[in-house]
Amino acid sequence: MSEGALPRVFLVDDHALIRSGIRTELGDQVELVGEADEVEAAIEMIIERTPDVVLLDVHMPDGGGRAVLEGVISNQPSVKFLALSVSDAAEDVIAIIRAGARGYVTKNIEGPELIEAIYRIAAGDAVFSSRLAGFVLDAFASQNGEAEVAPPPFDPELDQLTVREREVLRLIARGYAYKEIATELNISIKTVESHVSAVLRKLQLSNRHQLTKWATERRLL
Amino acid sequence: MCGGVAKRFGIDSKRVRIVAVISALFLGFGIAVYMAYWILVIRQGEEKSILSRIGSDKREKEILFVGAIAILSLMLALQILGINKFGLITLFFTLSVLGALVIWRGVSTNEREHLRRLTDAIANLGSSTGEGWPGVALRTVVSLVFILVGVANLSRVSRRPGAASGVVVGATTLIVGMVVLFAPWWIGTIRGLSKERRARVRAQERADMAAHVHDSVLQTLSLIQRAADNPMEVARLVRMQERDLRLWLVDPESFGIASDPPTTLAASAFEIEHEVEDSYAIAVEVVIVGDCTLNGAVLALLGAGREAAINAAKWSEAPSVSIYIEVERERITMFVRDLGRGFDQADVPSDRQGISGSIKERMARHGGQATIRSMPGAGTEVELVLPLKTSP
Repeated sequence: MSEGALPRVFLVDDHALIRSGIRTELGDQVELVGEADEVEAAIEMIIERTPDVVLLDVHMPDGGGRAVLEGVISNQPSVKFLALSVSDAAEDVIAIIRAGARGYVTKNIEGPELIEAIYRIAAGDAVFSSRLAGFVLDAFASQNGEAEVAPPPFDPELDQLTVREREVLRLIARGYAYKEIATELNISIKTVESHVSAVLRKLQLSNRHQLTKWATERRLL
Repeated sequence: MCGGVAKRFGIDSKRVRIVAVISALFLGFGIAVYMAYWILVIRQGEEKSILSRIGSDKREKEILFVGAIAILSLMLALQILGINKFGLITLFFTLSVLGALVIWRGVSTNEREHLRRLTDAIANLGSSTGEGWPGVALRTVVSLVFILVGVANLSRVSRRPGAASGVVVGATTLIVGMVVLFAPWWIGTIRGLSKERRARVRAQERADMAAHVHDSVLQTLSLIQRAADNPMEVARLVRMQERDLRLWLVDPESFGIASDPPTTLAASAFEIEHEVEDSYAIAVEVVIVGDCTLNGAVLALLGAGREAAINAAKWSEAPSVSIYIEVERERITMFVRDLGRGFDQADVPSDRQGISGSIKERMARHGGQATIRSMPGAGTEVELVLPLKTSP
């Protein structure tokens, strides 16, 4: 994405009503380069049009958002995905992030917040909803709660969160915006963003077997 | 057809039919008469009988001629090969094939369509794979060969007692023939049964879903229509319905069954979320890290948090309130935050039960602590900390 240009956005959702709602909310703040309502067409068009950000519905027939993600990333690794879902189920959230999405927001997100999230993703950062932050804290924290039984982390760099990352995630979980977090912790917004990106990386790459196990066991909404 | 006979001879058609069926059962004679009648007699509404139609067509005659030659040579071949035992069977078989052929060629187009549909149905009935008529014919021929060879083996064995292996070979061949002939039908029947069972389960599920959609979604929609001029009420109804649907999607089995009072902190916190959302026009977002069982102190913490959320719902004018709870080994922390209008704590009269009694003092009684941060215009956050003496 070049400086000053609007992010080029592609929209994938199988419900026309949701698509038109999102289109209205985005308005002229982004450049919408296309829409698709099913997996096959989405993969084809995204590879062809190489948008900056794909707004991706998690739940769709024929493999859902994950199938789109996997189909595109192998061909066009530069395309970034922001997952949109009505579901807050941990297994869905963790699965789509681990498949490569750089953020996750629920569909009832307000228009301005969604636009902010798109810009953040386009700039290469990550976007965590408060729910996702809670999931990550829970998944990574469980090793502290059961330190006696849990095996030592395989890769300390990837399998643990730093104190700062934990603080940032906690504030996100409490409903703080990035700007508020920066003020609260006395750091710059850029630093907040880099902490979140670091957490995303750990979430995607960590081999912690507890992560997946935790996500599937957790059926709370 | 029986009706036709009855009309001609002036007898009751039922009686003719009974006679025809009985004679068919006992002699096979009835069938022959029936077929001959079909071929020879002119049908109602048609000009010629089937036979005369065949006779008048040159091509039909040729086909008949070729068919007859083929059958005769087949019989001759069987005679030479010495399996004349089957000569009689072959004769009947070939005659019926010939008969079928004659009927097939002779019938009018309408009838042919009807027959085709009939035979296709039989073919599909016999084969679950939907291989169609040619496949069935092929399989029938193959299995008949197996059966014939098997019978031939067995009959030869009876003349040469002592060759036990012949019995085995013959029986096996016979069985293989039977299996080839009937297997698709068996498989089809079994598949059909399980398909039927699955269809029944699906229908049951669909009925359950329809009932649920009616009881919950449609009812709520009509309530929303009635409350259309009250946005707060609409928002409340929508949230209630949304939560209801989520619960149902996750666990349709236990949905609607009155659940026991919650026994864990997380379950209890979600109950607070539902209660506050239902009672006030505010969205509550609960994020919980960790969990523990309930006890007096934990209940006090949740009670204080609930009070804070209700305060936010009543006074903040914010559209939503965030609740965050983290359970650690030494303590439980709970944050209740809104981005509403906020307030200056100095302005709150000290006799207001909400903040002092329900939140601060309740926490203090259990060794905990409540901190309230609020500024006019910048929202409110209530932080509750409950130290845990022993393991959670």
